[in-house]
Amino acid sequence: MHSGAIDPPGITWLRVSPKYVTVRLAGWALGNLLLLAVLALPLVFVQAGWWHWPPLWLAVAVPAGMLVLALWRLVLIPRQVRAIGYAERDDDLLIRRGIFFQRTLVVPYGRMQYVDIGAGPVERALGLCTLKLHTASAGTDAEIAGLPDEEGARLREQLSARGEARLAGL
Amino acid sequence: MTAGGTGVAPGSTAGAGGSGSPEGGWLRVHPASPFVRGWLALAAIGFFFGRDTFERLLQGGPLVDEQFAGRAPWLLLGGGTVLLLTVLGYVLSWYFTRYQVAEGYVRVNTGVVFKQQRQARLDRVQAIDIVQPLLARIFGLAELRFEVADAGESAVRLAYLRAEEARQLRATILSRAAGVLPDPQRPEAPAVEAPEHAVLTVPPSRLVGSLLLSEQSFFVVLGGAMSVVLSAVTENRSFYFYLIPAALGLVAAYWSSFNKGYNFTAAVSPDGIRLRYGLLDTQAQTLPPGRIQALRVSQPPLWRIFGWYRIQVNVAGYGTSGGSGEGSARTTLLPVGTHAEVLTMLSLVLPDPGTPEPVRIFTAGLTGLADPAGAPGQDADGGFVTTPRRARLLAPLGWRRNGFTATDTALLLRSGRWWRHLVVVPHQRTQSIALQQGPLARRFGVADLVLHTTAGPVSPRLIQAGLDEGRALFDAQSARARAARKRQSSEHWLDQVRQNTSVIEPAEAAQAGDPVPRQPPQTAGSPGEPGQRGPQLEHRQDPYRQEGPQHD
Repeated sequence: MHSGAIDPPGITWLRVSPKYVTVRLAGWALGNLLLLAVLALPLVFVQAGWWHWPPLWLAVAVPAGMLVLALWRLVLIPRQVRAIGYAERDDDLLIRRGIFFQRTLVVPYGRMQYVDIGAGPVERALGLCTLKLHTASAGTDAEIAGLPDEEGARLREQLSARGEARLAGL
Repeated sequence: MTAGGTGVAPGSTAGAGGSGSPEGGWLRVHPASPFVRGWLALAAIGFFFGRDTFERLLQGGPLVDEQFAGRAPWLLLGGGTVLLLTVLGYVLSWYFTRYQVAEGYVRVNTGVVFKQQRQARLDRVQAIDIVQPLLARIFGLAELRFEVADAGESAVRLAYLRAEEARQLRATILSRAAGVLPDPQRPEAPAVEAPEHAVLTVPPSRLVGSLLLSEQSFFVVLGGAMSVVLSAVTENRSFYFYLIPAALGLVAAYWSSFNKGYNFTAAVSPDGIRLRYGLLDTQAQTLPPGRIQALRVSQPPLWRIFGWYRIQVNVAGYGTSGGSGEGSARTTLLPVGTHAEVLTMLSLVLPDPGTPEPVRIFTAGLTGLADPAGAPGQDADGGFVTTPRRARLLAPLGWRRNGFTATDTALLLRSGRWWRHLVVVPHQRTQSIALQQGPLARRFGVADLVLHTTAGPVSPRLIQAGLDEGRALFDAQSARARAARKRQSSEHWLDQVRQNTSVIEPAEAAQAGDPVPRQPPQTAGSPGEPGQRGPQLEHRQDPYRQEGPQHD
């Protein structure tokens, strides 16, 4: 249970499903391995003698640096997932995320314009979904990923009901 | 407080004799409007097909060249057909464009082949603009733009109406949106335009000065100096030619700013703040009470010489300015103004500052600087809480400026040592709040607080507040926003005043001398009774006038 320094005191955070790590891993693999493969192409060409530029050290250093970064991100993923949390208070919803770059967001129920639930292929296979709140501001990036399906549905109903009760204009 | 509470427009007899009422029936826009809108296409067609003939006429030659005598009729016929088809298209589009204002909605039907029906709720109006491009102005026409809260295109654009009709329609829409019901005896009577009270005008000389001293000019001078030095060093004159397009672009940019900002006039009426500006193309905006989501007063370094400021606002429906001339003009509440004028505009946007001494607090927000040796985090003047001393390495210049203070009605965020900014967000306009902290900020024990509002040029962000102060503000601000939202319950702004009047005893309010201090607008009596309004307008600005010497 991670609780950062910027969180308001006295909040019990609800955590997302640990299975969400798998979703993040799939995303990581798709993005980073592809990028790594592309970056490794010059190395292959140089080794095969087709290219004379870049020099060998550069052809090695770029994918190696990328690999280190990718592995670093990989190590962080489980902790990042554990750092995601949300809490329903009487009048607003709190969402937190991040370890290094932390963010705690508060969205009043009365400000919600609509609620989205979406699920990608990996999420669907694991029975997870992503819930997204929209307010009148485009800056409100209120997304809770990795909710179990039934929890997502419960939260959506709960939020809609509370939003209805506390509806405010702009 | 007055007859306004009865829900009827009592003064409606005054405008009864006017042209046909837009209430109820379906109406068409002015028949000339497609030609005013599409004159460029017509001119292009005419030019394309008629150029040769016209040139020969000028040279005194025969109307039709012998060489082309065979082809000329076909050419003219083709040109005529294209012209005819275009005109026919215009006429059809005009015929099928109809609008209606009734039952709390404005409806517009357009389209010949692909029909579109659009309706927008009147009480959701965020702003109404009347735009008059030069050609439309010559013909006495105007376009009406009705904005609701989506960050894209205008919800309803009626182009073009007679200028008088456009104003009439705006008055009707605004009075319906405010919650004034039509007279049951005579529902056809048009609403009377609410009287207004001029607040300020920006003189052209100051506008020119502000453009000359803008950031843009600084780079122009820099670029010019560099070109001169370069040409002197390399003894190469030819590259001056490359500067010509740049210079043309600059002239166009300055001209656009001048054209948009010329004769800027602000006025206040019960319908909201009215802004008028423009040299060739004129625009009149109406921002109903409480529709401004966030506001920023800023001062570029060179403007400090004359003490000038600029005010920009976020209004739902205007969207982001995106750097385009018109967009940024629409989100500008004051292109250039003095300190006193800034306070006046603030008093219009925030009739109840929520503090007994707004002048001192806003001045501190505009120009204040925390005492470096003072109490940690606490600004002596205005109560601004600034970045703690321990984090001064993160912002060596700005740490004494970056700060916040909250009044009962709004949150004030100031920042910037050279480019001074003061952001004001009314509590009930906050959408959501985020507290952010990166690794470096954590090391210094500070955090950023971001307020999310609707799209626009202002993005409120409190930079590097102390951790404890930031966390306390995060909690307090959500509570304050909640309380403020509960107070604001209706989309009809007159209803809010009515509710308040029922809460506060009229006698009590009169005694206090500042009737109904909570909600904008206090002036919303009944449209058409200017006598009731004048003194209240004067009263309303009272809190901002307490310290007279600071103004002039």
